[in-house]
Amino acid sequence: MNGPLIVQSDKTLLLEVDHEQADACRRAIAPFAELERAPEHIHTYRLTPLGLWNARAAGHDAEQVVDALVEYSRYPVPHALLVDVAETMARYGRLTLSKHPTHGLVLTSTDRPVLEEILRSKKVQPLVGARVDPDTVAVHPSERGQIKQTLLKLGWPAEDLAGYVDGEAHAIDLDETGWALRPYQRQAVENFWHGGSGVVVLPCGAGKTLVGAGAMAEAKATTLILVTNTVSARQWKHELVKRTSLTEDEIGEYSGTKKEIRPVTIATYQVLTTRRKGVYPHLELFDSRDWGLILYDEVHLLPAPVFKFTADLQARRRLGLTATLVREDGRESDVFSLIGPKRFDAPWKEIEAQGYIAPADCVEVRVNLTDSERLAYATAEAEEKYRFCATTATKRKVTEALVRKHAGQQTLVIGQYIDQLDELGEHLDAPVIKGETTNAQREKLFGAFREGEISVLVVSKVANFSIDLPEATVAIQVSGTFGSRQEEAQRLGRVLRPKADGHEARFYSVVARDTIDQDFAAHRQRFLAEQGYAYRILDADAVLAEDA
Amino acid sequence: MSTPDAPRSLAEALRACDDAAMVALLRARPDLLTPVPNDLSQLATRAGTRASVVRALERLDRFTQQVAEALAVASEPATYGELLGLVAGDGEPGEVRDALDRALATLRGQALVWGGEDRFRLVRTARELLAPTPQRPSPTGLGPTVGEAMAGMSPGRVQSLVSAAGLAATHDAVSAVEVLTALFTDRKRMAALLDEAPPASVEVLSRLVWGPPYGQVTAEPAAHLRWLIDRGLLLPTAPGTVVLPREVALHLRGGRAHRVLEATPPPVLAAREHRPQVVDSTAAGQAHMALATVEELLKDWDEGGPAVLRAGGLSVRDLKRTAVALDVPEPQAAFWVELAYAAGLLAADGETDERYAATPAYDTWQELPVAERWTRLATAWLVATRTPGLVGGRDSKERTLSALGPNLDRSAAPEVRVRVLELLAELPEGAAPDTESVLARLRWERPPGTSGSDLRARLAHWTLEEAELLGVTGRGALSAHGRALLAGGLEQPTPVHPGPGGGAAPYRPPTAAELAAAGKQATRLLTPLLPEPLDHVLLQADLTAVAPGPLRRPLADALAVLADIESKGGATVYRFTPGSVRRALDAGQSASDLHAFLTAHSRTPVPQPLAYLIDDVARKHGHLRIGAASAYVRCDDEGVLNEILADKRGEGLRLRRLAPTVLATPADPATLMEGLRSMGFAPSAESAEGDVLITRAHSHRTPPRTAPEPVPDGPPLPDATLIGAAVRAIRAGDLASTAPRKAAPTATPGELPRTAAAETLATMQAAVLTGETLWIGYVNAEGAASQRVIAPVRVEGGFVTAYDHTADEVRTYPLHRVTGVAELADDPS
Repeated sequence: MNGPLIVQSDKTLLLEVDHEQADACRRAIAPFAELERAPEHIHTYRLTPLGLWNARAAGHDAEQVVDALVEYSRYPVPHALLVDVAETMARYGRLTLSKHPTHGLVLTSTDRPVLEEILRSKKVQPLVGARVDPDTVAVHPSERGQIKQTLLKLGWPAEDLAGYVDGEAHAIDLDETGWALRPYQRQAVENFWHGGSGVVVLPCGAGKTLVGAGAMAEAKATTLILVTNTVSARQWKHELVKRTSLTEDEIGEYSGTKKEIRPVTIATYQVLTTRRKGVYPHLELFDSRDWGLILYDEVHLLPAPVFKFTADLQARRRLGLTATLVREDGRESDVFSLIGPKRFDAPWKEIEAQGYIAPADCVEVRVNLTDSERLAYATAEAEEKYRFCATTATKRKVTEALVRKHAGQQTLVIGQYIDQLDELGEHLDAPVIKGETTNAQREKLFGAFREGEISVLVVSKVANFSIDLPEATVAIQVSGTFGSRQEEAQRLGRVLRPKADGHEARFYSVVARDTIDQDFAAHRQRFLAEQGYAYRILDADAVLAEDA
Repeated sequence: MSTPDAPRSLAEALRACDDAAMVALLRARPDLLTPVPNDLSQLATRAGTRASVVRALERLDRFTQQVAEALAVASEPATYGELLGLVAGDGEPGEVRDALDRALATLRGQALVWGGEDRFRLVRTARELLAPTPQRPSPTGLGPTVGEAMAGMSPGRVQSLVSAAGLAATHDAVSAVEVLTALFTDRKRMAALLDEAPPASVEVLSRLVWGPPYGQVTAEPAAHLRWLIDRGLLLPTAPGTVVLPREVALHLRGGRAHRVLEATPPPVLAAREHRPQVVDSTAAGQAHMALATVEELLKDWDEGGPAVLRAGGLSVRDLKRTAVALDVPEPQAAFWVELAYAAGLLAADGETDERYAATPAYDTWQELPVAERWTRLATAWLVATRTPGLVGGRDSKERTLSALGPNLDRSAAPEVRVRVLELLAELPEGAAPDTESVLARLRWERPPGTSGSDLRARLAHWTLEEAELLGVTGRGALSAHGRALLAGGLEQPTPVHPGPGGGAAPYRPPTAAELAAAGKQATRLLTPLLPEPLDHVLLQADLTAVAPGPLRRPLADALAVLADIESKGGATVYRFTPGSVRRALDAGQSASDLHAFLTAHSRTPVPQPLAYLIDDVARKHGHLRIGAASAYVRCDDEGVLNEILADKRGEGLRLRRLAPTVLATPADPATLMEGLRSMGFAPSAESAEGDVLITRAHSHRTPPRTAPEPVPDGPPLPDATLIGAAVRAIRAGDLASTAPRKAAPTATPGELPRTAAAETLATMQAAVLTGETLWIGYVNAEGAASQRVIAPVRVEGGFVTAYDHTADEVRTYPLHRVTGVAELADDPS
């Protein structure tokens, strides 16, 4: 009894990473337990019904789960927990969704009382049609996603055997000359393809685009790619042309400016959710071709209308890509039920250890407000408080000092408030990219940054995601969207592309001490801290003293 | 074939048995002893009383009950051969013979069966209870005998039955019954008779054969029924009802009284087998959890637990809150609360505002070694009659049963608990039982009565659940330390007549010494299984600390102050927050203490963010100081304040310097002023706004007072309304007492008028018609008599409704309260 795992009665699993059996244990529990936190010594996994059902869907049974827990556990596993695991897993598969030769989509049960129970639910009633026989009920094909989501909430997940439509075939191949899919990317593609639909979670900079391309090469069908913004759309197009057999003409862009529909179409969330006279005119895009695969980039940002529409797309393969599946609105489970379960997840530090993302040094720089600022802060209105402390003048000085310290390295200064950024841009003599900057201008500036013509770039939250800036080495965050954990992670992601010389990336977060800025910062850092990024704390005075 | 010295009554049979048998009888049926009978005939009489027999029958195992039921349908007295036939049927008796011998021995031992060697007589009351009657079908499903069913049938009908069955006519009904009985009990002739039966008739018989034996027929039965009725194979009992006679049924059943003979106890099956080590360590882990939970519960209640309900017990809300605090479902919370109560660790404090709290025994318990702490709980649980499983249900009076409340004691609980564990102990080590088989076995050993709720089955269920929670079992199988609890001292006395196949011996609660011995053994076995407490934690940069096992108590206590607990179980996860660090600082620790503590107890270097967090909180901690002072001295000249502080005369003022220019004191401003004056200073008072208060020479004042109310000598002056009312009252009273009456010769002034009831009624009715005013005597409900002047409006239903001049309103008087009535003289006005 000296295993690496401690099973807690609250269904968390603590894995001691320095233990010799830690790797074996991780492999054994990964199929059914969700990695929740991965700090330096003890990783926390959690057993959730969803995780257990996904394991069932992937062909694992309760016996395997129990064996894995018992085998690696240091202390006896609470019996109640084992019973609960068995009971939870036994709930999966009592209901199946399948294609019936005459009745179309049907919901079948091997356990009649369960069928009776769920049919009695008010939420299920509008989704089902006539009773075919005592164990079978017809389901409106358009409600396939909805009923799966509802059944999941009722605790009786349905096994979806209705399959996928192949979609319009279109030859796509990876063009692996001079490069190859990394092992974890290949694994991610494989897991996804085997599972049918789902979400792949990879750290920023770990090459999610290539996982997408890999999936397309497996599907060999027309593909709809949904991305966050136009710049990102262009990057996708560029990358696909470079890495696959697709040519420029086969890839269309569907955005505010262009409305091309081609075998592979890249659309932005923004254009899809544009609303005119109460309707979403561009949602037709989903039906404009017989898509064989739908790719959701940065799936943690999926807007609500797309959620709703995705529910109707259950017959098509769906792949979600993200680095940080944390939503401050708590809708993670909707992502899982509509797009699909998590098919692949890699701890950031693991990918870092393999050398595919740059190691990063995260530093929180604490800035003292001056006495007059403190007084002003104390009297500021509640809603103005964050803005006030986040844009304090002292931060500017510290930022300048930091930029000077890293002179010669490609540096991004990232912030929330335009005034602050404009001011910083002026003092640093650096261009500013913000919401009103035109796409052409943005691309030009990013290009110049990539080429090294500009070494400092001040950006607003428009650059939070999907902007590929491989050379950025230093990021300085001066303010953010309150306590958003995923934003912090995404911003760190901007500097995680492996550097040619194996150089370490730097991520500074400048925070005003003893204000809500510090509280928000603590919350923002949680995700990364749980991924094992230990923040160092520096006093601004030390930075300034060094500078002087 | 009766033996010459066969006993002629139960008393005689008892007289013949030896002392050992008598002791066994009295042990099995202790109710016979209260009060101690005078002699054996009295004992025999008492053993034959209905209540006692019912009690004894209920406590038999299933097979012995079946034997008793078979005896009840056999002839009286029954031979062994007949009984064996009823029990085992026409086939080969085989093993049943042994079981039957044991069952008969048990029945004899319990004085339910008596009689000679081969003449078994069931005690009459038992026979009455078990024999089938139309009102109460027997568990055998058999009907009355031919003789019973044909009693009262006309001789002509009897003879026609005999001839229809193909027998020669007899000269009387009695011999006819005998012939028929002989035919029905003769397997060969019966078979021949039934061979001729139409298939539909056979189908009818097969429906009735295993009971209930009664069937409905119409006035004109169908042909296949007619065939059966004609031959006496179905006998009428009441118009429209027929019964299958016992002999016919037995023939069709192949002689067996029971469809399913349960001669051997159903075995307890193993559902899963685990390695015994796995079982023991799982149970030990759970035992550890149990201790942690009980400690957490009492810690939660440390500073005053929930209030005691007026009816006793814990309110539903408090139970819910406790469940949330312990992070367990409510029924489990009830179990832990009851367990601590049963172990004497918590009780009501008996104050006027009664609350639950830990007992002093809890403090001693906490000092015990871990394993011994568990044993205390486990032994208390084993013998407790309190049944937490009932909590939340309702009692027979529909009152909710609350945890720690009344009516939770079930005397069967310890018995079932021990029995279930014994059954578990019979399985090989590490085998978890199939719950259903345990229940089936318990049902066999003590078949549930006809009363719907099967309390013993529920108790058994709870036992299995609770044993798992407590760590007596692990993964469903009895652990070594759990086994020790049973074996150490709870050896039950060997029954005089052991039940077939190891049936349960009667339960006897273990003595304190036995429990202690068992506990000692369990403690010894459990000790090595419990994890060794650790003295270190792992600190992580995400501001968490993980204790990868139980911590030594001082370390655990200190960490619980310094950090919030996030997850419990084998390990504990702590999270450091500004709030938790502040808590530690408030508890008197300094930042350097905390750093030293973490460095000492961390296996890994203290992460920088954590060190920073502590310093950050410590920097702000105590930055603002708050205290109470009653008066202050303020002076811009620090020198003067130095002088005051240095002055010995000022010591009584207890002045303290808060800032260079401020002194504070707990003395009140006047005393301070006086003191400073006496030291030769000339202070002036300051208002709350900081202005100088200008006071003149001391004018002594009382606190605010209201001026005294004038106290007049006589009564207060009445107001107009009062006077008006008084006048009316006086006038009316006067009218009542002085008005000249027409015919009231007997009534002297001041006395109530008295007239006969009839006269009263007549006068009233007359007054209604004429509109006259009457003078009445009236006694109210309190018995007070009064005279009133009324003008009756209506007389009906024993009430008179009238305008009462005395009260000046319409009132209703019951006539029976009116003592008498007199007419008033004509109103002078």
